[in-house]
Amino acid sequence: METVFRVLLLGAAALALPGCAWMLPGRGEDVAAQEEIVLSSDEEPTLVPPRVIEPEVERREVRVARIDAENIEVGAFYGALSIEDFGTGPVQGLTAAYHVTEDIFFEAAFGRSKAGRTSYETLGGNVQLLTPSERRFTYYSLSLGYNLLPGEVYIGRSLAMTSALYLMGGVGSTEFAGDQRFTLNFGAGYRLLPTDWLAVHIEVQDRVFQSDLLGRDKLTNNISAHLGLTVFF
Amino acid sequence: MALALVGAGACLAADDAPVRLRELVVAEPYIELHEGPGRGYAVTQVVPRGDTFQVLYRRTEWFRVRTRRGVEGWAHEREILKARLPDGSPFTIDLGNRAGFTSHRFELGASMGDYGGATLIGTYFAFLFNEQLQLELTGAQFLGNASNGYSAEVGLAHVYRPDWRLSPFLTLGGGVIRIEPKSTLVQPEDRTDQTAYAGAGVRFYLTRRFFLRGEYRHHMVFTSRNENEEINEWKLSFAFFF
Repeated sequence: METVFRVLLLGAAALALPGCAWMLPGRGEDVAAQEEIVLSSDEEPTLVPPRVIEPEVERREVRVARIDAENIEVGAFYGALSIEDFGTGPVQGLTAAYHVTEDIFFEAAFGRSKAGRTSYETLGGNVQLLTPSERRFTYYSLSLGYNLLPGEVYIGRSLAMTSALYLMGGVGSTEFAGDQRFTLNFGAGYRLLPTDWLAVHIEVQDRVFQSDLLGRDKLTNNISAHLGLTVFF
Repeated sequence: MALALVGAGACLAADDAPVRLRELVVAEPYIELHEGPGRGYAVTQVVPRGDTFQVLYRRTEWFRVRTRRGVEGWAHEREILKARLPDGSPFTIDLGNRAGFTSHRFELGASMGDYGGATLIGTYFAFLFNEQLQLELTGAQFLGNASNGYSAEVGLAHVYRPDWRLSPFLTLGGGVIRIEPKSTLVQPEDRTDQTAYAGAGVRFYLTRRFFLRGEYRHHMVFTSRNENEEINEWKLSFAFFF
Protein backbone atom coordinates (compact mmCIF):
# COMPACT_ATOMS: atom_id res chain seq x y z
CA MET A 1 0.00 0.00 0.00
CA GLU A 2 2.75 2.30 1.01
CA THR A 3 4.60 1.53 -2.25
CA VAL A 4 1.50 2.46 -4.26
CA PHE A 5 1.32 5.89 -2.51
CA ARG A 6 5.01 6.45 -3.17
CA VAL A 7 4.57 5.67 -6.85
CA LEU A 8 1.58 8.03 -7.07
CA LEU A 9 3.38 10.85 -5.26
CA LEU A 10 6.49 10.45 -7.36
CA GLY A 11 4.38 10.44 -10.50
CA ALA A 12 2.59 13.61 -9.39
CA ALA A 13 5.90 15.26 -8.58
CA ALA A 14 7.37 14.30 -11.96
CA LEU A 15 4.39 15.87 -13.69
CA ALA A 16 4.42 19.03 -11.58
CA LEU A 17 8.15 19.83 -11.94
CA PRO A 18 8.17 20.72 -15.64
CA GLY A 19 5.13 22.86 -14.95
CA CYS A 20 7.00 24.75 -12.23
CA ALA A 21 9.89 25.17 -14.58
CA TRP A 22 7.52 26.69 -17.11
CA MET A 23 6.23 29.12 -14.47
CA LEU A 24 9.69 30.42 -13.67
CA PRO A 25 10.82 33.45 -15.62
CA GLY A 26 14.08 33.53 -17.52
CA ARG A 27 15.65 30.90 -19.76
CA GLY A 28 16.22 33.47 -22.43
CA GLU A 29 12.58 34.43 -22.59
CA ASP A 30 11.36 37.97 -22.30
CA VAL A 31 10.92 38.73 -18.61
CA ALA A 32 8.50 41.56 -19.21
CA ALA A 33 6.31 39.33 -21.32
CA GLN A 34 6.32 36.73 -18.53
CA GLU A 35 5.24 39.31 -15.99
CA GLU A 36 2.42 40.36 -18.21
CA ILE A 37 1.17 36.83 -18.47
CA VAL A 38 1.34 36.41 -14.71
CA LEU A 39 -0.45 39.68 -14.08
CA SER A 40 -3.19 38.91 -16.55
CA SER A 41 -4.05 35.60 -14.97
CA ASP A 42 -6.86 36.30 -12.55
CA GLU A 43 -7.25 32.73 -11.43
CA GLU A 44 -4.00 32.46 -9.50
CA PRO A 45 -3.23 35.89 -7.98
CA THR A 46 -0.99 34.24 -5.37
CA LEU A 47 1.57 33.43 -8.07
CA VAL A 48 2.38 37.10 -8.74
CA PRO A 49 5.95 37.66 -7.40
CA PRO A 50 6.23 40.39 -4.74
CA ARG A 51 7.11 43.65 -6.45
CA VAL A 52 10.29 45.39 -5.52
CA ILE A 53 9.69 49.01 -4.55
CA GLU A 54 10.47 51.15 -7.57
CA PRO A 55 12.59 54.22 -6.80
CA GLU A 56 10.43 57.24 -7.45
CA VAL A 57 13.10 59.76 -6.47
CA GLU A 58 14.13 61.82 -9.48
CA ARG A 59 17.85 62.09 -10.09
CA ARG A 60 19.04 65.56 -9.17
CA GLU A 61 20.73 67.27 -12.04
CA VAL A 62 23.92 68.74 -10.67
CA ARG A 63 25.63 71.12 -13.02
CA VAL A 64 29.20 71.90 -12.18
CA ALA A 65 30.13 75.46 -13.01
CA ARG A 66 32.96 76.17 -15.39
CA ILE A 67 35.92 77.55 -13.54
CA ASP A 68 35.71 81.29 -13.99
CA ALA A 69 38.93 82.76 -15.39
CA GLU A 70 39.47 86.25 -14.00
CA ASN A 71 42.29 87.42 -16.22
CA ILE A 72 40.76 90.61 -17.59
CA GLU A 73 41.34 93.89 -15.82
CA VAL A 74 39.53 97.07 -16.86
CA GLY A 75 39.52 100.46 -15.30
CA ALA A 76 40.03 104.19 -15.48
CA PHE A 77 42.78 106.57 -14.45
CA TYR A 78 43.29 110.23 -13.70
CA GLY A 79 46.50 112.15 -13.33
CA ALA A 80 48.81 114.76 -14.78
CA LEU A 81 50.50 114.80 -18.18
CA SER A 82 53.41 117.01 -19.03
CA ILE A 83 53.29 117.78 -22.76
CA GLU A 84 56.72 118.91 -23.91
CA ASP A 85 56.74 122.69 -24.49
CA PHE A 86 53.04 122.94 -23.62
CA GLY A 87 52.99 122.68 -19.85
CA THR A 88 51.25 120.19 -17.63
CA GLY A 89 47.57 119.41 -17.63
CA PRO A 90 45.16 116.83 -16.26
CA VAL A 91 44.89 113.51 -18.10
CA GLN A 92 42.19 110.89 -17.87
CA GLY A 93 41.57 107.65 -19.65
CA LEU A 94 40.61 104.01 -19.75
CA THR A 95 42.64 100.82 -19.66
CA ALA A 96 41.97 97.19 -20.42
CA ALA A 97 44.47 94.48 -19.67
CA TYR A 98 44.69 90.75 -20.14
CA HIS A 99 46.92 88.78 -17.78
CA VAL A 100 48.40 85.92 -19.75
CA THR A 101 50.67 84.47 -17.07
CA GLU A 102 51.47 85.51 -13.53
CA ASP A 103 54.33 87.58 -14.96
CA ILE A 104 53.13 88.98 -18.27
CA PHE A 105 50.13 91.03 -19.31
CA PHE A 106 48.92 92.97 -22.33
CA GLU A 107 47.40 96.38 -21.87
CA ALA A 108 45.47 98.68 -24.15
CA ALA A 109 45.15 102.26 -22.92
CA PHE A 110 43.32 105.32 -24.15
CA GLY A 111 43.91 108.76 -22.69
CA ARG A 112 43.02 112.37 -23.24
CA SER A 113 44.49 115.63 -22.05
CA LYS A 114 44.63 119.26 -23.08
CA ALA A 115 47.79 121.18 -23.78
CA GLY A 116 48.46 124.50 -22.13
CA ARG A 117 50.35 127.44 -23.60
CA THR A 118 53.98 127.46 -24.61
CA SER A 119 56.25 129.99 -22.95
CA TYR A 120 56.44 131.76 -26.32
CA GLU A 121 52.65 132.21 -26.31
CA THR A 122 52.66 133.37 -22.72
CA LEU A 123 55.36 135.95 -23.30
CA GLY A 124 54.11 137.00 -26.74
CA GLY A 125 50.73 138.18 -25.49
CA ASN A 126 48.14 137.44 -28.16
CA VAL A 127 50.09 134.79 -30.07
CA GLN A 128 48.18 131.51 -30.55
CA LEU A 129 50.14 128.60 -31.99
CA LEU A 130 47.25 126.15 -31.87
CA THR A 131 43.49 126.35 -31.99
CA PRO A 132 41.59 125.01 -28.95
CA SER A 133 40.70 121.78 -30.79
CA GLU A 134 44.32 121.29 -31.82
CA ARG A 135 45.37 121.53 -28.19
CA ARG A 136 43.55 118.32 -27.44
CA PHE A 137 46.07 115.57 -26.78
CA THR A 138 44.60 112.10 -27.42
CA TYR A 139 46.55 108.89 -27.37
CA TYR A 140 46.20 105.15 -27.35
CA SER A 141 48.79 102.48 -26.74
CA LEU A 142 49.21 98.74 -26.86
CA SER A 143 51.70 97.64 -24.26
CA LEU A 144 53.31 94.59 -22.84
CA GLY A 145 53.80 94.54 -19.10
CA TYR A 146 56.00 92.50 -16.81
CA ASN A 147 55.35 92.06 -13.09
CA LEU A 148 58.89 92.60 -11.93
CA LEU A 149 58.49 92.68 -8.16
CA PRO A 150 55.40 90.91 -6.90
CA GLY A 151 54.92 91.26 -3.18
CA GLU A 152 52.66 91.83 -0.28
CA VAL A 153 51.79 94.88 1.77
CA TYR A 154 50.72 94.78 5.40
CA ILE A 155 48.51 97.45 6.88
CA GLY A 156 48.14 97.04 10.61
CA ARG A 157 48.01 93.56 12.10
CA SER A 158 45.14 92.03 10.20
CA LEU A 159 45.23 93.38 6.66
CA ALA A 160 47.51 91.98 3.96
CA MET A 161 47.27 92.98 0.31
CA THR A 162 49.08 91.54 -2.67
CA SER A 163 50.97 94.02 -4.82
CA ALA A 164 53.34 94.22 -7.75
CA LEU A 165 55.78 96.65 -9.24
CA TYR A 166 55.59 96.29 -13.00
CA LEU A 167 57.39 97.57 -16.05
CA MET A 168 55.66 98.20 -19.33
CA GLY A 169 56.39 99.31 -22.84
CA GLY A 170 54.56 99.49 -26.10
CA VAL A 171 53.54 101.29 -29.23
CA GLY A 172 50.64 103.51 -30.10
CA SER A 173 49.54 106.73 -31.65
CA THR A 174 49.11 110.28 -30.43
CA GLU A 175 46.86 112.89 -31.97
CA PHE A 176 48.05 116.37 -31.18
CA ALA A 177 48.20 119.71 -32.97
CA GLY A 178 46.16 118.43 -35.89
CA ASP A 179 48.41 115.49 -36.64
CA GLN A 180 48.78 111.87 -35.63
CA ARG A 181 52.15 110.51 -34.70
CA PHE A 182 53.56 107.09 -34.06
CA THR A 183 54.35 106.93 -30.35
CA LEU A 184 56.51 104.72 -28.19
CA ASN A 185 55.58 104.42 -24.56
CA PHE A 186 57.37 102.97 -21.56
CA GLY A 187 56.98 103.26 -17.85
CA ALA A 188 56.54 101.59 -14.53
CA GLY A 189 53.68 101.15 -12.16
CA TYR A 190 52.66 99.84 -8.80
CA ARG A 191 49.55 97.72 -8.43
CA LEU A 192 47.91 97.14 -5.07
CA LEU A 193 45.00 94.74 -4.62
CA PRO A 194 42.78 95.48 -1.59
CA THR A 195 40.65 92.50 -2.66
CA ASP A 196 41.17 89.83 -5.29
CA TRP A 197 39.05 91.71 -7.82
CA LEU A 198 39.96 95.35 -7.19
CA ALA A 199 43.29 97.02 -7.90
CA VAL A 200 44.71 100.48 -7.35
CA HIS A 201 47.47 101.59 -9.71
CA ILE A 202 50.06 104.30 -9.49
CA GLU A 203 51.79 104.62 -12.83
CA VAL A 204 54.39 106.78 -14.51
CA GLN A 205 54.79 106.63 -18.27
CA ASP A 206 56.70 108.44 -20.94
CA ARG A 207 55.24 108.82 -24.43
CA VAL A 208 57.83 109.64 -27.04
CA PHE A 209 57.07 110.88 -30.53
CA GLN A 210 58.69 112.90 -33.28
CA SER A 211 57.39 116.44 -33.60
CA ASP A 212 58.26 119.42 -35.81
CA LEU A 213 55.68 121.68 -34.27
CA LEU A 214 58.13 124.29 -33.03
CA GLY A 215 60.28 124.62 -36.11
CA ARG A 216 62.70 121.74 -35.97
CA ASP A 217 62.15 117.99 -35.89
CA LYS A 218 62.74 116.57 -32.44
CA LEU A 219 61.75 113.73 -30.18
CA THR A 220 59.32 114.92 -27.56
CA ASN A 221 58.95 113.27 -24.16
CA ASN A 222 55.53 113.50 -22.60
CA ILE A 223 55.57 112.15 -19.11
CA SER A 224 52.42 111.33 -17.20
CA ALA A 225 51.79 110.22 -13.64
CA HIS A 226 48.39 108.90 -12.79
CA LEU A 227 46.30 107.03 -10.30
CA GLY A 228 44.05 104.27 -11.61
CA LEU A 229 41.34 101.98 -10.34
CA THR A 230 40.73 98.66 -12.08
CA VAL A 231 38.48 95.68 -11.65
CA PHE A 232 39.34 92.06 -12.44
CA PHE A 233 36.71 89.82 -13.98
CA MET B 1 35.94 80.44 13.57
CA ALA B 2 34.08 83.19 11.80
CA LEU B 3 35.84 82.22 8.59
CA ALA B 4 34.80 78.62 9.08
CA LEU B 5 31.19 79.68 9.66
CA VAL B 6 31.21 81.85 6.59
CA GLY B 7 32.74 79.00 4.63
CA ALA B 8 30.14 76.54 5.90
CA GLY B 9 27.38 79.00 5.06
CA ALA B 10 28.75 79.39 1.58
CA CYS B 11 28.88 75.61 1.21
CA LEU B 12 25.23 75.30 2.25
CA ALA B 13 24.27 78.05 -0.13
CA ALA B 14 26.21 76.27 -2.87
CA ASP B 15 24.29 73.07 -2.12
CA ASP B 16 20.97 74.74 -2.79
CA ALA B 17 22.12 76.44 -5.94
CA PRO B 18 21.44 74.67 -9.23
CA VAL B 19 25.02 75.24 -10.33
CA ARG B 20 27.78 73.99 -8.08
CA LEU B 21 31.39 74.92 -7.86
CA ARG B 22 33.90 72.43 -9.13
CA GLU B 23 34.91 70.12 -6.31
CA LEU B 24 38.15 68.14 -6.33
CA VAL B 25 39.80 65.56 -4.12
CA VAL B 26 43.47 65.70 -3.20
CA ALA B 27 45.19 62.60 -4.60
CA GLU B 28 48.77 63.53 -3.72
CA PRO B 29 50.09 63.59 -0.13
CA TYR B 30 49.03 67.25 0.03
CA ILE B 31 48.34 70.42 -1.98
CA GLU B 32 49.95 73.70 -1.01
CA LEU B 33 47.88 76.87 -0.74
CA HIS B 34 49.71 80.15 -1.26
CA GLU B 35 48.74 83.53 0.05
CA GLY B 36 48.73 85.19 -3.38
CA PRO B 37 48.60 84.16 -7.02
CA GLY B 38 52.38 83.98 -7.52
CA ARG B 39 55.25 81.60 -6.99
CA GLY B 40 56.84 83.75 -4.32
CA TYR B 41 53.87 84.07 -1.98
CA ALA B 42 54.14 82.15 1.27
CA VAL B 43 52.43 78.78 1.68
CA THR B 44 49.96 79.26 4.49
CA GLN B 45 47.89 76.08 4.32
CA VAL B 46 48.04 72.55 3.00
CA VAL B 47 45.13 70.33 2.03
CA PRO B 48 45.90 66.70 2.97
CA ARG B 49 45.28 63.65 0.78
CA GLY B 50 41.66 62.60 0.60
CA ASP B 51 40.29 66.02 1.50
CA THR B 52 37.98 67.79 -0.90
CA PHE B 53 38.20 71.42 -1.90
CA GLN B 54 36.24 73.78 -4.11
CA VAL B 55 37.68 75.76 -6.99
CA LEU B 56 36.33 79.31 -6.88
CA TYR B 57 38.04 80.95 -9.85
CA ARG B 58 41.28 81.14 -11.70
CA ARG B 59 43.80 83.89 -12.43
CA THR B 60 46.44 83.05 -15.03
CA GLU B 61 47.93 79.74 -13.82
CA TRP B 62 46.67 80.09 -10.24
CA PHE B 63 43.40 78.80 -8.79
CA ARG B 64 41.59 80.30 -5.84
CA VAL B 65 40.34 77.34 -3.80
CA ARG B 66 38.36 76.86 -0.61
CA THR B 67 38.88 73.90 1.70
CA ARG B 68 36.16 72.08 3.60
CA ARG B 69 37.04 74.13 6.65
CA GLY B 70 36.39 77.31 4.70
CA VAL B 71 40.01 78.35 4.37
CA GLU B 72 40.85 79.99 1.05
CA GLY B 73 44.14 80.18 -0.79
CA TRP B 74 45.83 80.01 -4.17
CA ALA B 75 46.99 76.71 -5.69
CA HIS B 76 49.13 76.39 -8.79
CA GLU B 77 47.71 74.61 -11.84
CA ARG B 78 50.49 72.01 -11.54
CA GLU B 79 49.12 71.00 -8.15
CA ILE B 80 45.49 71.25 -9.20
CA LEU B 81 46.15 68.85 -12.07
CA LYS B 82 47.19 66.20 -9.58
CA ALA B 83 43.79 66.36 -7.87
CA ARG B 84 40.96 64.07 -8.92
CA LEU B 85 37.28 64.54 -9.54
CA PRO B 86 35.03 63.08 -6.79
CA ASP B 87 34.38 60.00 -8.97
CA GLY B 88 38.12 59.32 -9.16
CA SER B 89 38.64 60.38 -12.76
CA PRO B 90 41.47 62.81 -13.55
CA PHE B 91 40.81 66.55 -13.71
CA THR B 92 41.94 68.29 -16.87
CA ILE B 93 42.28 71.96 -17.72
CA ASP B 94 43.38 73.97 -20.67
CA LEU B 95 47.10 74.56 -20.25
CA GLY B 96 49.35 77.04 -21.98
CA ASN B 97 51.79 74.63 -23.60
CA ARG B 98 52.73 73.18 -26.99
CA ALA B 99 49.62 70.99 -27.07
CA GLY B 100 47.54 74.10 -26.42
CA PHE B 101 49.39 75.89 -29.20
CA THR B 102 48.48 73.12 -31.64
CA SER B 103 44.83 73.14 -30.67
CA HIS B 104 43.17 76.20 -29.16
CA ARG B 105 40.09 78.33 -29.67
CA PHE B 106 41.16 82.01 -29.71
CA GLU B 107 44.18 84.14 -30.47
CA LEU B 108 44.87 87.77 -29.68
CA GLY B 109 47.91 89.73 -30.73
CA ALA B 110 49.49 93.14 -31.23
CA SER B 111 51.36 93.94 -34.41
CA MET B 112 53.88 96.40 -35.70
CA GLY B 113 55.20 96.78 -39.18
CA ASP B 114 55.22 98.61 -42.46
CA TYR B 115 52.12 99.47 -44.48
CA GLY B 116 53.09 100.82 -47.89
CA GLY B 117 55.89 102.88 -46.36
CA ALA B 118 53.92 104.02 -43.32
CA THR B 119 54.40 102.72 -39.80
CA LEU B 120 51.73 100.23 -38.86
CA ILE B 121 50.30 99.50 -35.42
CA GLY B 122 47.60 96.91 -35.19
CA THR B 123 45.82 94.16 -33.34
CA TYR B 124 44.26 90.96 -34.47
CA PHE B 125 41.79 88.51 -33.02
CA ALA B 126 41.32 85.02 -34.38
CA PHE B 127 38.69 82.38 -33.85
CA LEU B 128 39.72 78.86 -34.78
CA PHE B 129 37.18 76.59 -36.43
CA ASN B 130 39.65 73.75 -36.13
CA GLU B 131 43.40 73.38 -35.78
CA GLN B 132 44.06 74.59 -39.30
CA LEU B 133 41.35 77.04 -40.28
CA GLN B 134 40.83 80.34 -38.52
CA LEU B 135 38.75 83.47 -38.92
CA GLU B 136 40.74 86.63 -38.36
CA LEU B 137 39.68 90.17 -37.54
CA THR B 138 42.38 92.79 -37.98
CA GLY B 139 42.33 96.43 -37.01
CA ALA B 140 45.26 98.72 -37.73
CA GLN B 141 46.37 102.29 -37.86
CA PHE B 142 49.14 103.47 -40.16
CA LEU B 143 51.09 106.67 -39.74
CA GLY B 144 53.08 107.93 -42.69
CA ASN B 145 54.72 111.08 -43.94
CA ALA B 146 52.10 111.69 -46.64
CA SER B 147 49.02 110.28 -45.01
CA ASN B 148 47.60 108.53 -42.00
CA GLY B 149 44.75 106.08 -41.89
CA TYR B 150 42.97 103.09 -40.52
CA SER B 151 42.09 99.68 -41.84
CA ALA B 152 39.69 97.00 -40.69
CA GLU B 153 39.72 93.60 -42.30
CA VAL B 154 38.22 90.16 -41.94
CA GLY B 155 39.69 87.06 -43.48
CA LEU B 156 40.50 83.41 -43.29
CA ALA B 157 43.85 81.85 -42.54
CA HIS B 158 44.98 78.32 -43.12
CA VAL B 159 47.83 76.97 -40.99
CA TYR B 160 49.74 74.31 -42.87
CA ARG B 161 50.96 72.21 -39.91
CA PRO B 162 49.60 73.41 -36.55
CA ASP B 163 51.69 70.83 -34.69
CA TRP B 164 54.98 72.30 -35.92
CA ARG B 165 56.73 74.87 -33.78
CA LEU B 166 57.39 76.95 -36.89
CA SER B 167 54.57 76.65 -39.36
CA PRO B 168 53.62 78.57 -42.50
CA PHE B 169 50.12 79.85 -43.15
CA LEU B 170 48.15 81.47 -45.95
CA THR B 171 45.56 84.24 -45.57
CA LEU B 172 42.82 85.70 -47.71
CA GLY B 173 40.29 88.38 -46.94
CA GLY B 174 38.94 91.86 -47.39
CA GLY B 175 37.85 94.98 -45.62
CA VAL B 176 37.87 98.74 -45.66
CA ILE B 177 40.61 101.30 -45.51
CA ARG B 178 40.36 104.97 -44.59
CA ILE B 179 43.14 107.22 -45.80
CA GLU B 180 43.56 110.70 -44.40
CA PRO B 181 46.16 112.60 -46.43
CA LYS B 182 48.06 115.25 -44.53
CA SER B 183 46.57 118.68 -45.06
CA THR B 184 49.66 120.18 -46.71
CA LEU B 185 49.40 117.91 -49.75
CA VAL B 186 47.46 118.35 -52.97
CA GLN B 187 44.82 115.71 -52.37
CA PRO B 188 43.25 116.86 -49.15
CA GLU B 189 40.01 114.90 -48.95
CA ASP B 190 39.75 111.78 -46.79
CA ARG B 191 38.59 108.68 -48.54
CA THR B 192 37.27 105.28 -47.57
CA ASP B 193 37.77 102.38 -49.96
CA GLN B 194 37.27 98.66 -50.01
CA THR B 195 40.24 96.35 -49.97
CA ALA B 196 41.02 92.73 -50.63
CA TYR B 197 44.17 90.94 -49.63
CA ALA B 198 46.12 87.75 -50.02
CA GLY B 199 49.06 86.93 -47.86
CA ALA B 200 51.35 84.43 -46.26
CA GLY B 201 53.36 84.14 -43.11
CA VAL B 202 54.85 81.97 -40.46
CA ARG B 203 53.98 81.52 -36.82
CA PHE B 204 56.48 80.47 -34.22
CA TYR B 205 55.74 79.13 -30.75
CA LEU B 206 57.77 80.89 -28.05
CA THR B 207 56.77 79.57 -24.64
CA ARG B 208 53.71 79.14 -22.42
CA ARG B 209 50.85 80.85 -24.28
CA PHE B 210 52.96 83.09 -26.48
CA PHE B 211 53.91 82.97 -30.11
CA LEU B 212 55.22 85.24 -32.84
CA ARG B 213 53.62 85.76 -36.21
CA GLY B 214 55.46 87.22 -39.17
CA GLU B 215 53.18 88.09 -42.06
CA TYR B 216 53.09 89.63 -45.50
CA ARG B 217 49.85 90.86 -47.05
CA HIS B 218 49.36 92.17 -50.54
CA HIS B 219 46.41 94.57 -50.57
CA MET B 220 44.36 95.68 -53.53
CA VAL B 221 42.55 98.95 -52.77
CA PHE B 222 39.48 99.47 -54.96
CA THR B 223 39.57 103.24 -55.33
CA SER B 224 36.99 105.45 -57.00
CA ARG B 225 39.70 106.68 -59.37
CA ASN B 226 40.66 105.05 -62.64
CA GLU B 227 43.39 102.93 -61.16
CA ASN B 228 43.30 100.59 -58.22
CA GLU B 229 46.05 100.92 -55.69
CA GLU B 230 48.30 98.15 -54.46
CA ILE B 231 49.79 98.21 -50.96
CA ASN B 232 52.34 95.86 -49.44
CA GLU B 233 52.11 95.18 -45.74
CA TRP B 234 54.80 93.54 -43.62
CA LYS B 235 54.24 93.00 -39.95
CA LEU B 236 55.36 91.12 -36.89
CA SER B 237 52.82 90.20 -34.24
CA PHE B 238 53.30 89.16 -30.66
CA ALA B 239 50.33 87.03 -29.75
CA PHE B 240 48.91 84.59 -27.26
CA PHE B 241 46.27 81.88 -27.45
CA PHE B 242 43.53 81.00 -24.98
